[in-house]
Amino acid sequence: MQKKAFSFFHNNRASLIVLFALVLLPFIVGLFEGASPIVVWENQGGISKFVEGLGIEIFILALYALSYDLIFGVTGLLSFGHAMFFAVGAYLTGIALKSFALSLPAVIGLVFLAAILQALLFGLVLPRVKGITFALVTLGMASMFHIIVTSSELGNYTGADVGLQGVMVPSFINPANERLRFYFVALVVLILIYLLYQRFVNSPTGRVCVAIRENEGRAKMLGYNTFAFKLAALMLSSFAAALAGVLHALYQPIVSPNVADLSFTVTALLIVLIGGVGTLSGALIGAFVYRLLDFGLRRYIGENASFITGTIYVAFVLFIPYGMVGTWRLKSFRVAQGWRRLLAAFKT
Amino acid sequence: MNHDIIVETINLSKQFGALVAVDNVNIKVRRNSLHAIIGPNGAGKTTFFNLLSGNIEPTSGKVMFKGSDLTHQPVHRMIHHGIGRSFQITNIFPNLTVFENVRLASQALEKSNFKFWMNVSRLEKCEYRTWEVIEKVGLKERAHAPARTLPHGDQRKLELGMILAPDPEVLLLDEPTAGMAAEQVPELLALIQEIQKTGNKTVILVEHNMNVVMSVSDIITVMHLGKVLAEGTPAEIAANREVQTAYLGGLYELNV
Repeated sequence: MQKKAFSFFHNNRASLIVLFALVLLPFIVGLFEGASPIVVWENQGGISKFVEGLGIEIFILALYALSYDLIFGVTGLLSFGHAMFFAVGAYLTGIALKSFALSLPAVIGLVFLAAILQALLFGLVLPRVKGITFALVTLGMASMFHIIVTSSELGNYTGADVGLQGVMVPSFINPANERLRFYFVALVVLILIYLLYQRFVNSPTGRVCVAIRENEGRAKMLGYNTFAFKLAALMLSSFAAALAGVLHALYQPIVSPNVADLSFTVTALLIVLIGGVGTLSGALIGAFVYRLLDFGLRRYIGENASFITGTIYVAFVLFIPYGMVGTWRLKSFRVAQGWRRLLAAFKT
Repeated sequence: MNHDIIVETINLSKQFGALVAVDNVNIKVRRNSLHAIIGPNGAGKTTFFNLLSGNIEPTSGKVMFKGSDLTHQPVHRMIHHGIGRSFQITNIFPNLTVFENVRLASQALEKSNFKFWMNVSRLEKCEYRTWEVIEKVGLKERAHAPARTLPHGDQRKLELGMILAPDPEVLLLDEPTAGMAAEQVPELLALIQEIQKTGNKTVILVEHNMNVVMSVSDIITVMHLGKVLAEGTPAEIAANREVQTAYLGGLYELNV
């Protein structure tokens, strides 16, 4: 028994070290600016508070990308409407807190219900369309959602084009005063969902989802009602994405219509590509890299940063097509292949 | 109701536009027999097979299994009734291991497929069955290799393993020896025969290789232009004049 417990720590030592570092991070940063851990604990630190904020944004982004990896990377469903999964959580939280003054548990219950409904909505078209057609239909659905939240008729609730301003965040978790607490809440939510997804991928259901990605026709022939498995993956994905939306609305505390936009779906796609498609942990690492890259380049280069970020993404796809985690696992980093791919792109 | 008949087609037809690929086919397959379906190219064998396995729906007619109508069953239900099928073109999960390929096949009949919080290795019966099948088809050494890395012959064995894993009563084998090296064929045939005899299974197979068909089949159905041309034991078929002209004759001509 003791040995088993020990081997758990041994087998997961890398993840545990990262986790430990993330827990200590605000305090360590605090020490650099001369703030004692107590000061950090009481949310008085300057830089530590800023780093916590960046951490929270990364956790939210990672949770969102993780949920995309479950349907795209694990199950092989290419959705272009994933931003809607996130935006529904964010808008619902904002509206419920601002316009209806609901309590936080009630809000989360409501969001879970909405998560089921939106997964079912995507599920409606699931048996009829495949591959790129599914991507386009989901894009259509998400665009409709975008039109609805930006429409002036609903402006009183959604803030139309401007977005939902001033979400009433319950004081015990208000990121302005209780940022360290929010940091830990976001971290815990992310870890719980990550562990749940890991279990899912290694469960009977998850293995069938992987089989669907590999060869759906064969999975059907083997006797699986693939629709039900794809719907299960969509549900689980929708839950996590909506939860990320809730955290986003609480942290910002505004909800801009940008989170319902196609470009936000592409963000998830990019993060998953950077980290490694279908690896789950890749989504976490990808979110970290993406956010820091975005932040760093914007800060030091300014508006033209997107040119460089674009170049970096292209380099990622050319040189490490399996993403960071995927390449690490395969141990197959070959620079020459990347150049060959680049040259091939220019040949006609 | 004749309990000796396990699979029966009644006036089964399939039309693709103007082309009648399968035309009023009535076939009765006896329980525990090895029933071969042969015919020249374009005879409608593959279409007929796809109708049997539920991959395509017939234009008219019925597919009966143990007295119940399975004509309009969705394809994923077939194995639950006890009908398994293999493919002519190897159809596996290329990036998953041999073990996972077979386990997915045996897992299909599990009742806990939606327990998404449980580790899959806790399906002990399924795990046991998987190893049993892998050993039977002789892929134990390659169990943890990705399926795409296997040589073609081994992939055919894997394909057979995947159809055996859920232990169906009826095995539909679509050219099980297709593309195999000649020296590997007898080994696979012996395996198919052993499975059929010891496991009390009914095997329906489509095959191009005449030697294969003649040596292992109990009953042979010859199809020609979507219709049944003749049916009988291998000896009867070899002696049949019509078959000789339509099929065997044609074949010999090709060989000259």
